[in-house]
Amino acid sequence: MGPLELNGLTRRFGSVTALDDLTFSVPAGRVVGFLGPNGAGKTTTMRAIFGLTDLDAGSVTWSGAAIGQAERRRFGYMPEERGLYPTMKVAEQVAYLGRLHGMDPAGAAAATRSWLERLGVAHRADDKVESLSHGNQQRVQLAAALVHGPELLVLDEPLAGLDPAGIDAIGQVLVEQARAGCGVLLSSHQLDLVEDLCASVTIIDHGRVVVSGDVDVLAASGPRRLVVRVEGDRDAGWAGGLAGVRVSERAGGEARLVLDDDVDSDAVLRAAMAAGRVTAFSFERRRLSEVFREALG
Amino acid sequence: MTGAVVAACVVVFVAVRLWLRLRRRRGPASSSRGEGAVDLHGAPLVAAREIRERVRGRPFRIGTAFILVAVAAAIVIPVLNRSSSAPEQVGVVGASPHQLGALVVATARAAGITVHVVTEPSASAARRALSAGHLDVVMLGDRAVVVSTLDPTGASTSTQLATALAESLGVRAAYRAADLTPSQIAQLAGARPVPVLSLATTTAHRNVGTSIFGVILVFLMLQQYNTWILLGVMEEKSSRVVEVLLATVRPMQLLAGKVLGIGLVAMGQASVIVAFALCLGAAVGSNLLHGSAPTEVASALLWLVLGYAFYCWAYAAAASLAERQDQIQSVALPLSIPIVFGYVMALTAAVSGNASTLFKVLAYLPPTAPFAMPVLVGLGQVTVWGFCASVAISIVCTVGIARLAAVIYRRAILRTGAKVRLRDVLRVAH
Repeated sequence: MGPLELNGLTRRFGSVTALDDLTFSVPAGRVVGFLGPNGAGKTTTMRAIFGLTDLDAGSVTWSGAAIGQAERRRFGYMPEERGLYPTMKVAEQVAYLGRLHGMDPAGAAAATRSWLERLGVAHRADDKVESLSHGNQQRVQLAAALVHGPELLVLDEPLAGLDPAGIDAIGQVLVEQARAGCGVLLSSHQLDLVEDLCASVTIIDHGRVVVSGDVDVLAASGPRRLVVRVEGDRDAGWAGGLAGVRVSERAGGEARLVLDDDVDSDAVLRAAMAAGRVTAFSFERRRLSEVFREALG
Repeated sequence: MTGAVVAACVVVFVAVRLWLRLRRRRGPASSSRGEGAVDLHGAPLVAAREIRERVRGRPFRIGTAFILVAVAAAIVIPVLNRSSSAPEQVGVVGASPHQLGALVVATARAAGITVHVVTEPSASAARRALSAGHLDVVMLGDRAVVVSTLDPTGASTSTQLATALAESLGVRAAYRAADLTPSQIAQLAGARPVPVLSLATTTAHRNVGTSIFGVILVFLMLQQYNTWILLGVMEEKSSRVVEVLLATVRPMQLLAGKVLGIGLVAMGQASVIVAFALCLGAAVGSNLLHGSAPTEVASALLWLVLGYAFYCWAYAAAASLAERQDQIQSVALPLSIPIVFGYVMALTAAVSGNASTLFKVLAYLPPTAPFAMPVLVGLGQVTVWGFCASVAISIVCTVGIARLAAVIYRRAILRTGAKVRLRDVLRVAH
């Protein structure tokens, strides 16, 4: 079951190159974050997986073989621009999409009931989709992507516009799916959430991969991060004059410092103590948002 | 029902033919959607959903009820008008009222007029009844016929009846004067006119009402089904659900399923309407369904199907270019022009009872043939071979337009944001 491999994908729209020799993979049983600024090529990549855009070069394979319609029916897809029939009833719609993925009527109906229950929208099963809130429509959309028990989930901004409860519910489902062996590729601009959910990330820009790897490895890489809180000094002005030290962020009275390799952390502590009473002093991992910003310059 | 069967065959034939052709053309490396084994997996499900949603929808039920009411009115009202005219009251005065009464009935029947004969005791009593409006015509023995007012145009039924009775009495008096035997009189009375020939080709009486009825039905129903296609495709594009669907089924499967589903609903509706018209017409004795009418009804049904098969692909392609109601109207306008033109030309020809050369040409062009050919059939101005040739041309062109529509649909359906221009779709290599 898997992996999904994208090899040298290239797609041009006139003079614009949307994908430029893009290569990465989505292993089975992992949640892979697919990140990049707007226009980087994320949606085009996801569409290419489902054959919704033609490619000028490259290939998409599943378990080492070219993807056909039969394979695609074993994938689940949640496009960036949500798509449901507005006047169709929730349960009928999810079951219909399950049937399009090859399920028999009874199986589709049972799976629909189960997923609507799991995602907290079972009480709206007989309502028209257009009568649901944005968040509930999002849950129905996810149910439609999951109803047939996919081996691969491709989700374009699945967490956008959700309240915290919705994010928790959907995030939990995605992690469970991965634990059950499903490969999950999800794009998002909510980097903190991606950091919590994903085992690895691929960051692209201008249709090319700029960073790719395990979240833990990426977090441990790069220069050291030091978080210091000095009572009464919210601007961390004391750190401004230290050689090899850069203040990357100030928030809540804490300063997040990036240290060059040759900087002595004891010297930094002394400088902080000289500025006032130090109430916090700790090394921290590189955040995914920092990885993202540093990768894109 | 023949029409429905042919309809199903045409739509299925076109859909399967397209699918096979696309399958042959699609090499394993020709595109990112290239694959080996292909099936029609999605199309029946798409068609089933279309049928379910259409039949369940209120517009379908209201539309069907409206058409049934209109059909009932078109059949029943003429019958009511015909039967509501009361029989002419004819007063008979004379020594042998039974003989005169028999003459009145025979003459009135020949003139197509319903009469009721009343024996009056005297001429003065008959005149009083005529003045009071209780009688329409009075026969004073075999000497004279009296009406209250003589219509100089001869349009009133009473005047027509009085004139006919006067002629009959005159002929009978002439027979007597000639001293003919009863058998000779009977022989003369049974005289048949010789045929009247004309230089025009029409030799049989045709029921123009059925042709007009058929053309209006084809026009209304085609407009309705085309609108379903337009709104159905636009709804999938504007709601973005098409991207979810196309992740599972191919564009051609989705399009064929939609066309097939709506087509089956359309045929079901048309069959119900025609069956209703036939039953109601038979029950009330409507002229609309007598004579050559069954042929004309069958022809109209067949051309309704062929018209749908031709236009549904074009409308689907047009709808894929738009994603809003205002855009829909502009992309559909060019397609409605031949429909309206064919409809107006067909109505004109049906009413005038004569088909011009231009009209006969229109009957062989697929965009206008659904309107023109049923009227030619109604006028009796087309041969079986001509009819079959037009059907063949229509089917071939339908295959061509379906192929073109599939290309446009595939290239345009996922392009959102603004109205897609047709020339951009046809020019850009995807």
